[in-house]
This record gives sequence, structure tokens and C-alpha cells, in this order.
Amino acid sequence: MGLTGTRLTALALGLLTLLGLSVSAALLLGVAGLDLEMIAALRAPRVAAAAGVGALLALAGLALQVLLRNPLADPYVLGSSGGASVGGLLALMAGASLWLGAALGALAAGMALLALTRAALASSDDASPRLVLTGAMLAALCGAVATLLLALTPDQQLRGAVFWLVGDLSGARGGLACILAAVAFAAWLGHQHVAIDRLLLGSEVATLLGEPVRRLRLMLLVAASVATGMAVASAGAIGFVGLVVPQALRLVGVQGSRDLAWMSAVGGAALLVLADLLARTVVSPLELPVGAVMALVGAPLFIAVLHQDSR
Amino acid sequence: MSDGAPLLETRALSLRAAGRPLVQGLDWQVWPGQRWCIIGRNAAGKSTLLRALAGLSVPERSGELRWMGRPQDDWAPADAAWVRSHAPQQSVDRFPISVQRLLALSTVRPGRLDAVQVLRELDASELTQRGVRQLSGGERQRIALAQCALQGAPLMLMDEPVSFQDPAHQALVARWLAALVPEGGESALVASAHDVNWIARTATHVLALTGDGGWSAGPCAEQIRGELLQRVYGCPWRETGGVWVAA
Repeated sequence: MGLTGTRLTALALGLLTLLGLSVSAALLLGVAGLDLEMIAALRAPRVAAAAGVGALLALAGLALQVLLRNPLADPYVLGSSGGASVGGLLALMAGASLWLGAALGALAAGMALLALTRAALASSDDASPRLVLTGAMLAALCGAVATLLLALTPDQQLRGAVFWLVGDLSGARGGLACILAAVAFAAWLGHQHVAIDRLLLGSEVATLLGEPVRRLRLMLLVAASVATGMAVASAGAIGFVGLVVPQALRLVGVQGSRDLAWMSAVGGAALLVLADLLARTVVSPLELPVGAVMALVGAPLFIAVLHQDSR
Repeated sequence: MSDGAPLLETRALSLRAAGRPLVQGLDWQVWPGQRWCIIGRNAAGKSTLLRALAGLSVPERSGELRWMGRPQDDWAPADAAWVRSHAPQQSVDRFPISVQRLLALSTVRPGRLDAVQVLRELDASELTQRGVRQLSGGERQRIALAQCALQGAPLMLMDEPVSFQDPAHQALVARWLAALVPEGGESALVASAHDVNWIARTATHVLALTGDGGWSAGPCAEQIRGELLQRVYGCPWRETGGVWVAA
């Protein structure tokens, strides 16, 4: 088991090729001639946002899976995305910065999750199902609050707010910032790869091996929350990228956190660029919200992962 | 870290769980070259004591605990990893990882032991490329023992190292432990176990927990006697041809 050497290199090259192909397709498909101006003005920001958001979400999923030592952790499943949505909506209503609101909301949801599951995290079996269940309830709670906030949103802002909530890249901004943040996140995860691999063995095992477990977990939580907040602020709550990408990489045999980190970033970017391409071409000229497309692909994959996990 | 200090020392160490005393006023020293076995009936507190000795969290604890003469709390986590390792009763593997990678991650002081040789001694050479989640209970346990040894710490704590081993592998682990912690060497072992005859051929010393907070520590030959075994396990014992049998 475990991919090494040539096969790992082949997978890495395959992922990079996939990203290159999907980005070129998303940039060029359906453009009459080679209208560079239009590509730069309309397509490039959207593709950049898709790539950045996809990479950030995949990395956030990877970090949360390490933090909670649960292969089913993901910012969408655990309520971080929901928290970011609520924070973003509140900021929108108060006329404050959407970005800041979403990041703070994601952080608050993460903190709440950690506080609620403190006891379970401290016990020697730190991978109990209680964590994911608590997260799912937090996500449901945030969803309810977001719906209530929508009811209070003035009509002229409603359509934009709804589209943003479902996950929509058509007006996405901040693509470059997301890409830079994803590169920094992946680099940090790669730098900490031994500590992270040890943390995956269990928090007590990591403690016995001399890792500063408490600090590491706090850093993972903050990084995952900020990444989720940025992704949600840019493109709304898009689910399943964070779950599916690291899981798929694990299922094909990638094991080391250093490989997982940068491959998740590349894979997440490619997946969301492709999903967005589908969302705006399948029933063109109508556009589907990319969040819905991801969920259509992601939910069956989630079930497949659950199935696999029982091995 | 003075040379004159024992690897492990407890002064008036008391442990309680659910209001019940497990160990009371334990004054005990573990020196290099010693192989200790902790005996006691189920729920007597063997695992809790091993966790406390390793510096892991336990329900209620008081008294002093020193590694190499220095209080346990004064050790930074990274330094503590150089001093003691701990093999739990059972490892929980949530994520797929190969045995080889697991052992590489478990090594804190490289160069002290050779992974290939340790695996050969533990009859686990064929397992290197396997995933930990595909191992049998006994195989996984021998890998956990290898992890504990390869960490490279002189003080090795093992919670029931042979609970999943068949008779042949119990004997193999006994020989391996004796070679790993030779008398006159630099390292020491503290392990919990139930099989008195396995203990008699593995341990140099025995710490007996009587289950009501009482304890008795001393060389193996002095400890494994019918009277003490009866006090520990609550049933009469007899020895026939060098083999201890509970009646």
C-alpha cells in the first residue's frame, strides 16, 4: 500500500496536467476567436477565484481532518462554512466588510466546535463520532440562522445574498488573494508535515513523540477557519471540495502530509474550475450555482467514502 | 541529569479513579538495566499507573514523579520524548499508513536501534509494506512494541505487551525484551502483564498492586510467592515444577 516513487510522480504530473487543462478550457471555451481582452476581463477573475477557492477549501478540509482526526471532517460538514455564511450575511447587513465578516464567522464556528468537543478531544479516543455529529448540528444551526437573516435582508440585496450563500462564482472576487493564501497554507502544512503526520496517529501519540500538540491544533483550527472564511467570502458556501479531494488522494494511496498538502491544493483548484465550467456551460446561457453542482457530485462521493472507510 | 539519579522515581505517588484508591504513597525507583512488571487484578490501576509514569493525563494524581532526577512537569514535550516511550494497550488507527512510514514517524532518536533488525527480531519483517489497518491484533501489537523501542528513549513503558500474542510469540517477545533491556545496560522497562510464568522469565523486578491502594515492589524472585499472589489476585496459588497455577 502507499504510493511511492514513480507512481507518486505520475499522479503529481497527472494532477498538474488536469489543472492546466481545466484552466485553459475554462478560459478559452466558447470564446469566439482569441479575444484576449475579454478573457482577461471576464474569464480570468472567475477562473482565478475558482482555483483559489477550490485550493483553500481542500486545504481546510485536510487541516480539519487532521485536527479532529476524522476522515469525514470538512468545513461544510462541520459548520465552518455555515459560520462564515452567517458572519458574511451579518457583515453585509451592517454594511461592513464581507471578507472580514466571513472570516470571523468561520473562526467563531471553529471555536464553538472546539469548545463543545473539548472533552472528547482530550480523551484518549480522540476520534469519536461525537465530533462530526456536533459539527453537523452546528452546520444545521448556522443554516437556520442564515435562513432567518435572509428573511430580514432587504429585497434589493436578496437575490445577490441567496446566490452568494448557495455558492456562486459569477461575481467572485479576490481570486488572487485566495490563490496566494492557498500557496501559503499548503507551504505551512508541508513545512509541518512530520508533526501533522504524528498528530494523525493520535494526539496522545503525538504528545509522547514530543510534538507541541495544543499549539499545533490551535494553528490548524485558525488556518482552516481563515481559509474557509476567505473561500466563503469569495464564492459562498461551496461544499464537499474539502472532504472529497483529500479523501480521494488518500484512497489512491497518498499518505504523507507533505504530498497531501500540495496535491490537495492542486486537486481542489482543478475540481472547482471544472465544476464551474460545467455550471456555466451545461444549460448555457443559464448558469447553475456551482455550489449545487459540487453537491450533486460531492454527495454521492461522500457516500462512497463512507463505504470505503468501513474497510 | 545526574548519573546518580534513577531513570524513574516516584515519591508518595497516589492515584485515584472514580473515588477509589488505585495506588497510595508509592515510593519507587526504576534504575537502568531493570525490567519491571506490574501485576494486579483487572481494574487495579496498572494502565493508569503506566499512563501517569508516561506523563499522560490520569483522573486524580498526587505526589512526585521524576525522570532522571528531574520533576516530570519540568520536562518540555520534545525533551520528554527522548526519555520515555509508551506503548498503549491498543492502538487506534484512523488513517491508512504503512508500517514502514509509521515506524519512521515513531523514531525520535534515530540511530539508537535499527528498524529492520527490530522487525526481524519481532518476526514482523514481512509487514513493512503492509497498511497498519490490515494487520491482525497480534501483528499490530508487535508493531506497537517496535514503535515503542524505536522511539529511542531509555525508559520504555509497555501496557500489556503480550495480551494479543500466541504462546510462541509471547516467548519471542520475552526474549526480545530481555535483549532490549539487558542487565547492566542503559535502558529500563516497565510493563504490565497478567501471566505470572511469562513475568517470571521476563522481569527482573515486580511491582504488585493489591487493588486497594496497597503495593509491594522488589526483585522478581522475592515477589512471586504464593502469599503475595494470593493477596494480589484473591485466589490461592501453587507451584508445580516451576510453573505457577491459580487454583
